[in-house]
Amino acid sequence: MLPELGNFAIILALCFAILQSFTPRFVQLGTVSAMAQLGFLSLAMLILIINFINDDITVLYVREHSHYLLPILYKIGAAWGGHEGSLLLWCLILSAWTFAFIVFSGKNLPRSTYSIIIMVLGLLNTGFITFLFITSNPFKQDFPETPIVGNDLTPLLQDPGLLFHPPALYVGYIGFAIPFAFAIAALFNGKLDKHWARLCKPWVILPWAYLSCGIVLGSWWAYRELGWGGWWFWDPVENASLLPWLSATALLHSLIVSEKRNVFKGWTLLLAIITFGLSLMGTFLVRSGILVSVHAFASDPARGVFLLSFLAMIIGIAFFLYAIKIKHFYQQPQFNLISRETALLTNSVVLLTAMATIALGTLYPIMLDSLNLEKISVGEPYFNIIITPIILFLLLMMGFAPHMHWGRQSILTLWKKLRMSMLLSIVLGITIPWMLGFKIYGLTCMGLALGIWVILSTAQFCLTLTSHLTLHHLAMIIAHLGIAILVLGITINKSYSEERQVKLFLNEKTSLAGYELTFSKIDEIHKPNYHTQIATFLIHKNFKKAGTLKAEQRVYLSHDQLFSKPGIHYNAFRDLYLTLGTLHTDGSWSIRIYYKPCVRWIWFGGFMLLLGGLITFLPIKKRGLKHAYH
Amino acid sequence: MKKFFILICLLVMYQHGIASEDYYTFNSHEKQQRFESLLSQLRCLVCQNQTLADSNAPLAEDLRNQIYLKINAGQSDKNITEYLVSRYGNFILYRPPFDKATLVLWCGPFIIFLFSMIYLFHCIHNKTKIN
Amino acid sequence: MHIIRTVKFTIPLILFVIIIGFLWHGLKVNPGMIPSPLISQPAPEFKLPQLFYPNETTSNDDFIGHITLFNVWATWCNICIEENDFLLKLTNIENLRIMGLNYKDDVALAKQWLHEHGNPYHVVAVDSSGNTGIDWGVYGTPETFIIDKKGIIRYKHIGPINAAIWEKTLYPIIVQLRNETL
Repeated sequence: MLPELGNFAIILALCFAILQSFTPRFVQLGTVSAMAQLGFLSLAMLILIINFINDDITVLYVREHSHYLLPILYKIGAAWGGHEGSLLLWCLILSAWTFAFIVFSGKNLPRSTYSIIIMVLGLLNTGFITFLFITSNPFKQDFPETPIVGNDLTPLLQDPGLLFHPPALYVGYIGFAIPFAFAIAALFNGKLDKHWARLCKPWVILPWAYLSCGIVLGSWWAYRELGWGGWWFWDPVENASLLPWLSATALLHSLIVSEKRNVFKGWTLLLAIITFGLSLMGTFLVRSGILVSVHAFASDPARGVFLLSFLAMIIGIAFFLYAIKIKHFYQQPQFNLISRETALLTNSVVLLTAMATIALGTLYPIMLDSLNLEKISVGEPYFNIIITPIILFLLLMMGFAPHMHWGRQSILTLWKKLRMSMLLSIVLGITIPWMLGFKIYGLTCMGLALGIWVILSTAQFCLTLTSHLTLHHLAMIIAHLGIAILVLGITINKSYSEERQVKLFLNEKTSLAGYELTFSKIDEIHKPNYHTQIATFLIHKNFKKAGTLKAEQRVYLSHDQLFSKPGIHYNAFRDLYLTLGTLHTDGSWSIRIYYKPCVRWIWFGGFMLLLGGLITFLPIKKRGLKHAYH
Repeated sequence: MKKFFILICLLVMYQHGIASEDYYTFNSHEKQQRFESLLSQLRCLVCQNQTLADSNAPLAEDLRNQIYLKINAGQSDKNITEYLVSRYGNFILYRPPFDKATLVLWCGPFIIFLFSMIYLFHCIHNKTKIN
Repeated sequence: MHIIRTVKFTIPLILFVIIIGFLWHGLKVNPGMIPSPLISQPAPEFKLPQLFYPNETTSNDDFIGHITLFNVWATWCNICIEENDFLLKLTNIENLRIMGLNYKDDVALAKQWLHEHGNPYHVVAVDSSGNTGIDWGVYGTPETFIIDKKGIIRYKHIGPINAAIWEKTLYPIIVQLRNETL
């Protein structure tokens, strides 16, 4: 009964999405349909979750992704742990964004802009819900004659990360539908002014913040689950989430210029289209089976064909509109070579360059393969070589840009203002590793110096602003500091990580990076849905106990596979990370130990981006924080 | 900072007297580093999104052993890479070689960079000449 | 000037269409298949004991003069059972020898497995260490190579062979090889 109801809810939501596409003719109807659509999609999601909780194995999707022994939280998470359910979540989030847009921005926009935006969002969700219903219906049922149990959720997904990572990522991805719709509206109406830019900005900041958070959560999850101590692998699916992030970051900066100075309009529109296009392309890459990845869903070709056609149509039309309409936006702006406009333009062009190179590396193997030329892999070594110089250049710019004035900036004042910070960061970048006795590598010093440079110059910016600090300034400061911390974390982690693979008997010791680890005991524990062997290691440093670390090797009852869950002992400055390997016949274990300095800084920096984004929405008047207190 | 400093002192103090057996032992530090860096640049063919260093697949284990033996026998990185490529193709290299098929891949970033710089200067030039 | 500007604004559209074209083509290719660089190369050298006659060896000299299906299998590979059923049907094909490479397996188990499921192989070579497998670029079982009368690898199939694949790709190659003179 419930699955039929779920199906019914999806069909109704589809009908309302179609109605919503007629908004320009009937504005009221469009608004109401958007709300109804949200209601029915929520209902469908709720029903799916209930099906999971009830272990309704007649539903194919439930049967493939759950097991009656699975803990209840993972049953809820499993509702979006596979392709079909996650697509339902995707549609739900799009309609939630639509709803939020109607509530918060609906009244402030001219009617023509508003109705086109609602129409575009309606068309998008019509496409997605059709896709959901035709190729990936989560409520598809069959009735097995013999009693069977579900296939269970992949062990890798049985982690709290499942509950947060996909939703955060999707909120980010789909959120870019709104700036996209804004761009289409502007192209249709041939009008883009400061008002447009100001109203569009929150709808870029929010998805951008969530996407940052989603990427960071994904990295953290991979680190904890995959067992090789890596936090970024340049895997195609990871890249697929990084591409819209880079382009959205460019959009954010370009939008600021459009808002403040009424320029770069064409560029802003282009970035809005590209960002959403990349979100869609990411979905396509993950769901079509075009590439091999740990994160990709199992898939059938019909899905790929549908998604690609949809992507081609939506983004193709947008680029076409751009090509024919953009000349109306051409305007002769006035600013000097050394100015904040130039700095922000450079920033967004360079970010887009970074995006394009990563896209090239990600898509290149597919291109070669589709031409039947060769099968190659493009991985970490390639991306590190290509991206590092671009990132370093961006960091350099990041220190200058906030200090530049709109319109014109004297290069001499800028130099006078910043020379101390510059000098200090270079000195610190070289002396810190030297003082601590670490090996000195050129690239490490550069990374450190530039990270410190961004921190110092941001701090200086903070000081000059004390009297009229706005929330947007604060957001920028937090986000820039977040990036600096992230870069410092990456630099230190990449330069000074250590690892070791050893064969260890019980009660034996081993050492890594000044820590001594004693293999103290091994316990066998039976959990409802898996058996596990837990190895406990005592960590000593300087003959003092520094903690314990537990690594597991699990056998899930529903899967015949060994699954190693790494043990991690962490503090602010380093992680000790240990994975159990094979148990040898002589009773010894092969064990890999990793020493990962400052790895947590990377995620901390990433979460600061979320914080920076969210802070702009605090209900404080934007005139200045000082006023808020008086 | 203080923690870092302590850590370094420990590093120096704790280099000896521990009773565990390393999985791969080398007679020189240089070989060990070559081994680690080689493994991290090679793709495991079984679980296709891990490096040979990270993968737990039996084939990855076998290939690690082969590479270990070859490094200890004094073979160069180039020899070892050729050995693997002749069996598994360029797919095994995470850093694709520079050849006809990868020309665009390796030159692409510079071309993209060049074009964006041209675009940038074009924009700035257009917009500043009025002043 | 006007035309140049119009062209400039269509660049994103053009690039987009190109990318979509590639992706469209890419959909038709299986990303998990890795082509072997050994095609058109002489089969890698090996000398291995036979499964049923441990004192006798088999090597690539045995390829000369026959068209050989060189099939890599193991008892721990579940799909190999299905494939074995099909291989049994191929044993009577004219001028075709099926040679097995028992990959990283237990000899006793392998013998028992063949007794149980039937033995389609003329010869089974035993590769317990997996080193021969590495020389042949094996990365998963089952894999099948077609080797011509001169001992040159002409085709590699990854994954189990079934009737459809046999009819469509493998058999035509064998027919073609038959017509080639030694």
